Amino acid sequence: MGTIIEAKEFSYCYPRRDNQVLKDLNFSIEEGEFIAIMGRNGAGKSTLCQALDGVIPHLHGGTVWGDIIVDGLNTQEVEVADMAQKIGIVLEDPEAQLFTTRVDDEMAFGIENLCLPREEIIKRIAWATKVVRLEGYSDREPTALSGGQKQRCAIAATLAMKPKIMVLDEPTSQLDPIGTYEVFDVIKSLKEEYGMTILITTHKSEHIAQYADRIMVMEEGKIVAFDTPQVIFRDARLLSHVAVRPPQVSSLAGYLNSNGQNIKREDFPILVEEAEEMIRSLMGGKKDGQ
Amino acid sequence: MSILDYHYGDSYIHRMDPRVKMILLILLTIVVFMISNFYVLLAMFALVMLVWKTANLPLKNIIGYMKFLLSLVAFLIVLQGLFFSSGSNPIILVHPIIPESVPVIGGHGTVYLDGILFGLILGFRLLTLVCIMPIFVMTTTIGETALGLVKLGMNYKYAYMTTTALNLIPTLQDEARVVMDAQKMRGFQVFETGKFMEKMRAYSTLVVPLVVGAMRRAQLMGVAMEARAFGVKKTRTYRDELNMRKIDLAAGVLVAFICVGMVYFNGLLGGWY
Repeated sequence: MGTIIEAKEFSYCYPRRDNQVLKDLNFSIEEGEFIAIMGRNGAGKSTLCQALDGVIPHLHGGTVWGDIIVDGLNTQEVEVADMAQKIGIVLEDPEAQLFTTRVDDEMAFGIENLCLPREEIIKRIAWATKVVRLEGYSDREPTALSGGQKQRCAIAATLAMKPKIMVLDEPTSQLDPIGTYEVFDVIKSLKEEYGMTILITTHKSEHIAQYADRIMVMEEGKIVAFDTPQVIFRDARLLSHVAVRPPQVSSLAGYLNSNGQNIKREDFPILVEEAEEMIRSLMGGKKDGQ
Repeated sequence: MSILDYHYGDSYIHRMDPRVKMILLILLTIVVFMISNFYVLLAMFALVMLVWKTANLPLKNIIGYMKFLLSLVAFLIVLQGLFFSSGSNPIILVHPIIPESVPVIGGHGTVYLDGILFGLILGFRLLTLVCIMPIFVMTTTIGETALGLVKLGMNYKYAYMTTTALNLIPTLQDEARVVMDAQKMRGFQVFETGKFMEKMRAYSTLVVPLVVGAMRRAQLMGVAMEARAFGVKKTRTYRDELNMRKIDLAAGVLVAFICVGMVYFNGLLGGWY
């Protein structure tokens, strides 16, 4: 597994503005990693997502310094449409990115643009439909689907093009808990079963704690931390500084500490299972509360 | 439910080759403009309604528009009846009701029979046209329309530009409704109870969010399309195939034949103005 995304001193400024929204980014991401990008609104998360597939600067204009190399291609030199075969992007608004009148038309659109033969198109639609579990919805109208189904349809439409990297920009921000769960479940299978590299921006800490390999924390256009969930979610000072909510179980440990318990920072749970262990040990290792 | 939105169904019209539908749409539009005999126009209207029935499209969708159009037809009849000016020797139904001695408007007020008939034809022509267009849009998906245009020789980029623009209309209608509802919820009642001028002014409050929203949506859609490799190659492939079946050809020829017949009868019976 090699490096698949590399940013070298990348900065970006929107047209007709004079402040940089992305400042001096340096990072590299390995193939097959699940990366969560977190930070408050306006920290530059969405801008970074769009920079990765070249929408920035090709479609939005503006000034760029430095380079982002995605799977050997420099995003500044390659057109967005060419980049689409390497990197797929799913946007926040489920409505605006679905523009056909049938679910399977939606999935066909991208692969038709790649000039694949008809048999391959049909095969890939069937595959993508199965991966996102939308069987039986092929002839439905995308606008008539539920929020979670719409996002899964958008994922499938991108997935059918078989990109190596999937970028999801706040895919669950407009979804209810069930829709969120469905979408994360699909994203998880993309990583585990198909070895895709995943980048996702989200505020859903619990899901991130469970699935992400590393978390990139952004603040005012800069990367302030880039580490595993275990390290990030236990760093209380960092989290409050960047306004990222830790998983509830970590907050529970902090709350217990402020009420007289003495749980070490490095033992703070981030997953429910870890919290269970912590509570058991606090109760003296007894089972069933005896 | 809009009349410019795809209406899910499985009728013969739905399954018809989009190319045939497209050509017939253009043909029918032209013929409607050529007909100036009321009876022939009525026959045309009946034909269009028959197609609505065949396509299993809900008539209630168009009835709201019909009400509006019928008032327009009435308006056209009155307007043409009073101000008809073409034609060498119009039949006068009512002689000037305003005597010549009244300044400025004196001598006006003549009601012309030819004018009334002309208004009737004009109005009914409009009515028929409004009923033709939705048949195509409601029975043909965006994908089929684009594919049809491409197979008729259009560059696929233009074909998609056309069809996506068409697809934006129902979305905008929905959005207008959302904005109006939001206004109503905050006690804005001009659209229900306001005077004409107030209503006109109120529309500006509707237009701004609508235009801003449409531009934002169009930009996002552009990003979404590029992100799925739109325009990466000179041509593209298609999952769907169009096959012109014999029955499609036959239906096309039949409708074309009827159209020719109507134009013939129109000439035979003579125009009404």
